[in-house]
Amino acid sequence: MLDQKKAALKTAGTEALPLAIAIAAYGMSYGVLATQVHFSLLTTVAMSVFVFSGSAQLVTVAMLAGGAGTASILLTVMLLNLRNLLYGAALSEGLAPAKKWTRLLAFGISDEPFVLSTARFKKVGPDPFYFAVVTGIFYIAWIFAALFGALIGDQLDPQKWGLDLAFPATFAALLVPGLKGKPIIGTALAAVILTLVMELIKPGNELTIIMVGLFAPLVGLYLHRRGRAHA
Amino acid sequence: MLNQWFLIGALALVTYLSRVIGLEFMSRWKMNPTLRLYFNYVPIAIIAALLVKQIVLPFHGGLTLSIPVLLSCIGTAVMILLTKRFLPSVIVGVVIGVLFRYFFS
Repeated sequence: MLDQKKAALKTAGTEALPLAIAIAAYGMSYGVLATQVHFSLLTTVAMSVFVFSGSAQLVTVAMLAGGAGTASILLTVMLLNLRNLLYGAALSEGLAPAKKWTRLLAFGISDEPFVLSTARFKKVGPDPFYFAVVTGIFYIAWIFAALFGALIGDQLDPQKWGLDLAFPATFAALLVPGLKGKPIIGTALAAVILTLVMELIKPGNELTIIMVGLFAPLVGLYLHRRGRAHA
Repeated sequence: MLNQWFLIGALALVTYLSRVIGLEFMSRWKMNPTLRLYFNYVPIAIIAALLVKQIVLPFHGGLTLSIPVLLSCIGTAVMILLTKRFLPSVIVGVVIGVLFRYFFS
């Protein structure tokens, strides 16, 4: 039993490490950006400790930088979080043996652990221990990266070092590698056009992000359906 | 400061709820594949919208294009497609924007 745990620990560690480095890179960007919207060292790190979500935290600081209010940030994050429902549903069987601990493990559900764990469960069946190790490694990387980013961000003169440019650059780096296939590219293009239209109607529009998040994916769905009809 | 703590608490709550609801309740449903796709496209749309909102800024009641930001984004995009490395791509993008500002504005 112990040997089995040791083996799982080793596999989890090796599989999580490359992704942990990528997560640390996002985490550092988040830390730098959070200081740009006047989060202190403590609140920057606290958000990583309590929220532990790359997309939610990065979108929050970017929206704060754009002057958005709490309500529109929360609505947008809820929209972003919809995909966690999918991940949770897909992972529930593999995490079931953890019994009452599953509610603690739920805190770690996000993009990367989902990808790694579904692959693992397919291979060896339910394995909450693997999930716990992977998310534990990511959690530690995420918190320390935020701390490190906030320390750097605090030291630099934002305008001189172009830290305001770190917002768009970060989002370009998040978006571009995923642009594969007509439905996704169509969603992104629709989002660009819809954003421009809404901003032209009312510059600095508070509703833009939420509206685009709600409606642009419909274009993706349409393209997906049309692509299948033609195939 | 108090506002930040409130925001952190609210974000933590809505994010944890989305995780635990999926795990505890949604697993009993058979989810519609169209809804699945929709959920997956939402982050793309939101990130694209945020990007545009940073490139095209409100200015005197109209909109203005920020060339340094646009160049930063293009530089980052090209770099990440070529190298597939996140942090170096962001840094190169920022440097391009800073250099443009330094020489042209």
